[in-house]
Amino acid sequence: MIPPFMRKPRARVMQPTVYTNMERVVFQPATYRGMQRGIDQLVGAIRPTLGPRPRVVAIDHVDYHDKTPRLLDDGGAIARLIIELPNRDADVGAMLLRDVLWRLQQQVGDGTATAAVLFQAVFQRGVHYIAAGGNARRLQTFLEQGLRDILEQLNAMVVHLSEREGLARIAETVCYDPPLADMLGEIFDIVGEFGRVEIRPGRSRELEREYVEGMYWERGAVSRGMLDGDGQLRTDLEESAILISDLEIKHPQQLYPPLALVIRHNIRSLLMVVGEISDSAIGFLLSNKHPERLRVVAVKTPGHDKEQKAWALEDLAVLTGGHAFVQAAGDTFERIRQEDLGFARRAWADRYNFGIIGGKGNARQLRQHIATIRAAFERADNPNTRNLLRERIGKLLGGSATLWVGGMTQREIDERVERAKRAATALRGALREGVLPGGGVALWNCRPTLEARARAATDPDERAAYRILAEAVAAPIRTIIANAGFDAFETLAELKRHGPGYGFDVVRERVVPMAEAGIYDPAIVTKSVAYVAITSAAQALTIDVMVHHARPEQAPLPNLSMPKQL
Amino acid sequence: MTDEMPITEIVHALAASPDFARDGVCFAARPSGLYRSCDGGHTWQPAYNRSEAEKALLTSAVALSPHFAVDRTVFAGVRGAIMYSEDAGQTWHTVVLSSPPPFVSVLAISPHYAEDGCVFAGTMEDGVFRSGDRGAHWAAWNFGLLDLNVLSLAVSPDYARDQTLFVGTDSGIFRSTTGGRAWREVDAGPEGMRSTDFAPVLSLAISPQYMVDGTLFAGSESLGLYRSSDRGRTWQRLGGDALSGPINGIVLDPQYPARPRILVLLHAALVVSEDNGATWNEWYPDLQDDQALTCVAAPLGLENGSPLLVGTTGGEVLIVQERFFKE
Repeated sequence: MIPPFMRKPRARVMQPTVYTNMERVVFQPATYRGMQRGIDQLVGAIRPTLGPRPRVVAIDHVDYHDKTPRLLDDGGAIARLIIELPNRDADVGAMLLRDVLWRLQQQVGDGTATAAVLFQAVFQRGVHYIAAGGNARRLQTFLEQGLRDILEQLNAMVVHLSEREGLARIAETVCYDPPLADMLGEIFDIVGEFGRVEIRPGRSRELEREYVEGMYWERGAVSRGMLDGDGQLRTDLEESAILISDLEIKHPQQLYPPLALVIRHNIRSLLMVVGEISDSAIGFLLSNKHPERLRVVAVKTPGHDKEQKAWALEDLAVLTGGHAFVQAAGDTFERIRQEDLGFARRAWADRYNFGIIGGKGNARQLRQHIATIRAAFERADNPNTRNLLRERIGKLLGGSATLWVGGMTQREIDERVERAKRAATALRGALREGVLPGGGVALWNCRPTLEARARAATDPDERAAYRILAEAVAAPIRTIIANAGFDAFETLAELKRHGPGYGFDVVRERVVPMAEAGIYDPAIVTKSVAYVAITSAAQALTIDVMVHHARPEQAPLPNLSMPKQL
Repeated sequence: MTDEMPITEIVHALAASPDFARDGVCFAARPSGLYRSCDGGHTWQPAYNRSEAEKALLTSAVALSPHFAVDRTVFAGVRGAIMYSEDAGQTWHTVVLSSPPPFVSVLAISPHYAEDGCVFAGTMEDGVFRSGDRGAHWAAWNFGLLDLNVLSLAVSPDYARDQTLFVGTDSGIFRSTTGGRAWREVDAGPEGMRSTDFAPVLSLAISPQYMVDGTLFAGSESLGLYRSSDRGRTWQRLGGDALSGPINGIVLDPQYPARPRILVLLHAALVVSEDNGATWNEWYPDLQDDQALTCVAAPLGLENGSPLLVGTTGGEVLIVQERFFKE
């Protein structure tokens, strides 16, 4: 093993920036210098938002009519709104980090400011080490090895919370809005990790919530004529049969077999799920309406694409004990039998949705079906697929909650809705993977292990990686303390005196036992932050050359303020 | 039994006054209505004050307030409604549940009913209904309850603090730690068996010291008796072949686990253990050929010679006073 000081320094200092007709090629040390500048600028914009006493970042509005700046205290949103830096070298570093933060925000809903600070700390220290002769690729390997130690340490600290108060505290660490956090705590205490929660802008200043029994899909009755006209435009069916299909009903004759079947078996209510239904078929159903003998409501198959429709048919079949008729399989209603119908204690439809309460499918099959979807959810990597699978599980669990978020102005409502959504994502993560001591303490608690590994390491790159990480994991807690107006050095010294299990409560302005104070972060957020920040920074350290493509001449922006002058 | 109770009936449920030693009050729920006894189950009278012309009010469940001596409150489950009386069954109020009418299979009352006024009704097909205002209003709370066929229900003795209750359904056990507002699956069953493989759970019993020992018993239709000592996370089968067949009822000694006596009601026998399920002794009541045992109440606990009220498929309530245990 060659120690770094004996390695031949690379010629990066001497490499000039090369211009070609179309591209500009940038070599070291300009690459690191430029990237570092961009990373520092982006982190500088996000850093003040870290912690329970965040400061606000004002961002100039893109809309030229609206001169009011946006006031933000959310690292993810700030990163999203910084779309370009004027210096192209700096822009590469900033956009690299921006992408990392935005992906993190999408995945876990929180932790962007912590990730930014951690990324910067690792990158900055890594650059110093590499500039002193360290090997970037080997450093990356050892940083990733150190990350595994950090994740192991974090896993050992995880505790599981389930009661309402604990969940509300988690929500508050994300949204900094105690009434909103309290309501989210109640909702998730009831609906659980997979529960269906809709967060909508409210029409008043208050927060309101509603729990809906049973499951529903976003497809309303195909005609208002099928709904009861008692002002609500909703039809409730009792002991209803459910016809499950994605068939295209072009002619009324296609409906004869199922209608004859339900009349023959003296069934009084039928919810018909079909792929498409023609006006003539709807007219046939409406002109033969005899609610005293049979009530029929037709809705379209839920789902926006083939896969979602297939999922909906499968779920409806398991839930109600029926058989799904599938167009692609060549199914028709011609030979329909009673056992092909699903049944439910109650079914309902209005203009926008239809729902089922008390499906009469086999409960064991339903539980197995949900277990299968959960397994698919655990395996899925794509966030969209995970969201769809989670929604599907939530539907099948048999209930949902809707939270209406109010506020004084539309802007406040929008921002509160956004915070509520992020808190909801964090709560799902906390329910799934538990929680860790908050306020940067969990990462800081990894430091002794990393220092011990650094002392034990014989390889210089390995030792450097552990030292970099040991210093970097203290960066978030230092920032939180500094943002709250305290001296990080003194506070951390006091924390060391108290030992493990203690943290600094920024709100109460004193060192407290974390478990008693209930200061927690969702474990999935902290672990994702560590993973994303360290792997991305380690990879960024391996970038040696930047190539800038020539940008096309930009047309001047239209003068959008012109109408005002006129 | 009086003449009002035809022998072809079945006793769905029994409930005795917590002050049974003094007042001797107990109730029996039967297809022909609710019956009350004021002499320890020796004679019975209809509890509903109805004219003979009226149709019999099928009563499938009954529960008494834990403070019955003071509040005189009785709940009875009838088809599509809950009835409650606040004068020990002299007069009744009826609260109709949502349509279509549910079949109330079991009723349970919070141990802290005087303070929280919580009552729970398990139904066939419609899950659990909950009232937080002493039975005046009922609402279905079935979030996460994937099987709505509720056969048994047990409330934690520390309900005021832990908000915990369990239901046994056609496909296993569900637990709520939110006062019955949301439910989660409990993996009940032999090792290596998934919860969905579990047989219908006909009976549940919670240790009086549940907050300390976390012990819960579940009696299944075909897989025997199970005990969990960790609040339902893991389960051990008890009794082996001695407890084969449907477990229709489980009674724990009020001093359990200090005095670990367990009584289990099988199809045609009472089976007891006084060593926390390690060994079992059977006792067969004198039943007619086609009769079976349906439910049991131990109003004075599991003392030797204290009365046990046992309901049968013939509609009779047997009073069993045996010396099951060693002194």
